[in-house]
Amino acid sequence: MIEYDEFEKRLVLKVVYYGPALSGKTTNLLRLHELLAREQRGDLMVLDTKDDRTIYFDLLPFFLQAPSGLKIKLKAYTVPGQVRHDATRKAVLQRADGVVFVADSQLKETTNNVESFQNLERNLKMVGLSFDSTPLVIQYNKRDLPGIVSTEDIDRVWGETGIPVHRACALDGGGVLETFRALLGRLYLGVDEKISLESDHGLSREDFIAQILRPASGDSGEIDLREGGLE
Amino acid sequence: MNQDIEFIVGSERRLLDLIGRDEIIPLLAAAVRSGASGASVLDDAGEALWQDGADEIDGSSPQRRSLRLEGEPVGTLQVSGEPGLVRPITDLLHEVIQILMTNNLKRMLTTEIHTQVVRQSYEELLESHQSLERSERKYRELSQSLDAQVKERTRELQLVHAKLLQQEKMAAVGQLAAGVAHELNTPLGFIASNLHSLGKYVSRLTALLLRIREQAGGKSGALCALDLEEQWRVQKLDFILEDIPELIEQSCDGAKRVQRIVEDLKGFSNLDGATLAELELEQELERALRVLSGKLPEGTRIHRNFEPLALVNANPALISQLFFNLISNAIWVSDKPLVLSFRNWTDAAGLHLSIADNGPGIDPAILPRIFDPFFTTRDVGEGTGMGLTVAYDIVHSLGGILSAYNVQSGGACFELCLPPQE
Repeated sequence: MIEYDEFEKRLVLKVVYYGPALSGKTTNLLRLHELLAREQRGDLMVLDTKDDRTIYFDLLPFFLQAPSGLKIKLKAYTVPGQVRHDATRKAVLQRADGVVFVADSQLKETTNNVESFQNLERNLKMVGLSFDSTPLVIQYNKRDLPGIVSTEDIDRVWGETGIPVHRACALDGGGVLETFRALLGRLYLGVDEKISLESDHGLSREDFIAQILRPASGDSGEIDLREGGLE
Repeated sequence: MNQDIEFIVGSERRLLDLIGRDEIIPLLAAAVRSGASGASVLDDAGEALWQDGADEIDGSSPQRRSLRLEGEPVGTLQVSGEPGLVRPITDLLHEVIQILMTNNLKRMLTTEIHTQVVRQSYEELLESHQSLERSERKYRELSQSLDAQVKERTRELQLVHAKLLQQEKMAAVGQLAAGVAHELNTPLGFIASNLHSLGKYVSRLTALLLRIREQAGGKSGALCALDLEEQWRVQKLDFILEDIPELIEQSCDGAKRVQRIVEDLKGFSNLDGATLAELELEQELERALRVLSGKLPEGTRIHRNFEPLALVNANPALISQLFFNLISNAIWVSDKPLVLSFRNWTDAAGLHLSIADNGPGIDPAILPRIFDPFFTTRDVGEGTGMGLTVAYDIVHSLGGILSAYNVQSGGACFELCLPPQE
């Protein structure tokens, strides 16, 4: 549900980090906050947590401007993963323009991943969004832990769905940017289709991604911005 | 500020949405009290939203700080006065307003999501409540109509059952009629034959008597005696006088037999009535046996092992039918000269009476079903499958139990047990 104000030349986009409890959704936002340039982003707002567990949501806004003068604000939210906060998840998921599903790679979390994904499908439907037309990227987090699902199994499960899957270790930042980049790429396609970012506003997909992913000053050399996964 | 809550979580806010006049004016006034000549907040278009004191009194340019919401500039804080004095005041005031904005935003977001969640949960509750009510109503209707349907079916079944029982009774009556006809035929046959003989005897006696009257009219006494002797011989009066008492006695016996059969039959009348009588089970058994005597095969032997038992208060017709059905069954299954053994005894459970035969016994596989309605081992059309059912029902209606088992010597035994009566 792209929020576009042609008169004010303003566009607001919303992406949501979804997934089971403790899979690392907030950690993803923390790393993005650290890794990306201060000029392109706002502050990370963490609404009340309890024992470090998200009960409302976290919010990290990003800003960029198209050559046409169009101001674009992209807000990244996390949802609470715990099953009991389903109503909150639904509320946050409203009018989302893209979703990152953060799965926990540990084998013992397989059931939780499946249930959370089914919950995502159900809730998208309930807030009036189509699963097929909502840009979605999957992140298998915690690749550094023992007892994790194998790459082959991940590929076998998700390969034929066509949904991009990234592996990450959000705690040290690995794969976080790549996941976000993949989502931005998909998100751009949808937005461009509706309000012609490239032809009307002179904003190419590459520029869109590069502006948001501009690394924090002083350590730009350390961040790997190449296309591709974690390997 | 929260009266008009936007329910899309995280929708865009402006400065006016976030800060109330009551919050900002005291802060601006405090800056003026601390030495600033004026303090104001401008929106993103540069229009003053709130102000205290005067701007630009001494011509020096005022201190300006950008107010940012979620990292985006949404307005400006402007403080006028002597630069050396107002710079630290401006920095302090800016920090306070930023924190105020952030906290207000957090509060609004929290309130929004809370309200949203509560409303959503409430709507879901309402919806699930409604759907529960709907399904409850549905089930109530269903159960009501189910109840009616079950009652209807039960009534139909009861009707069919009653009709079948009636048919069984009629069938029994039919069998009874056949047996009785046979029984009545024999005595009636010889009574008729005897009466025929008696008729002929009477005509001969009549002839003799006429002759005597003629003779007595004119002839001499000697002649008369001679002729009378001749007539006595001709009419075989010696034989007739000898045979007559025998014929009469035989006929009387026959009549008595008919009388007794009719008496036994009365026991079967009034099957549907509620007439109760004090009965001796053994006598009712004998009565049924007599009614069935025409059906008993040649050479049937009957063993009785009876002791005097208490009387039973029951409808005689039902008891007659009970024994009739059980004995009929034994007759039907017998495959060799029939031996029936009757025995009775009393124990704590009540009165017992058993009827054992020397037939093939009951296949254990069908034993649990023999009292079921329509269960029969006979060919289609030969048995109703209701005989034992009726017997079971009769014993059941008396509060007793009818059981069946095979006896060691071969053959089946039906044992009825009636509770002791007060």
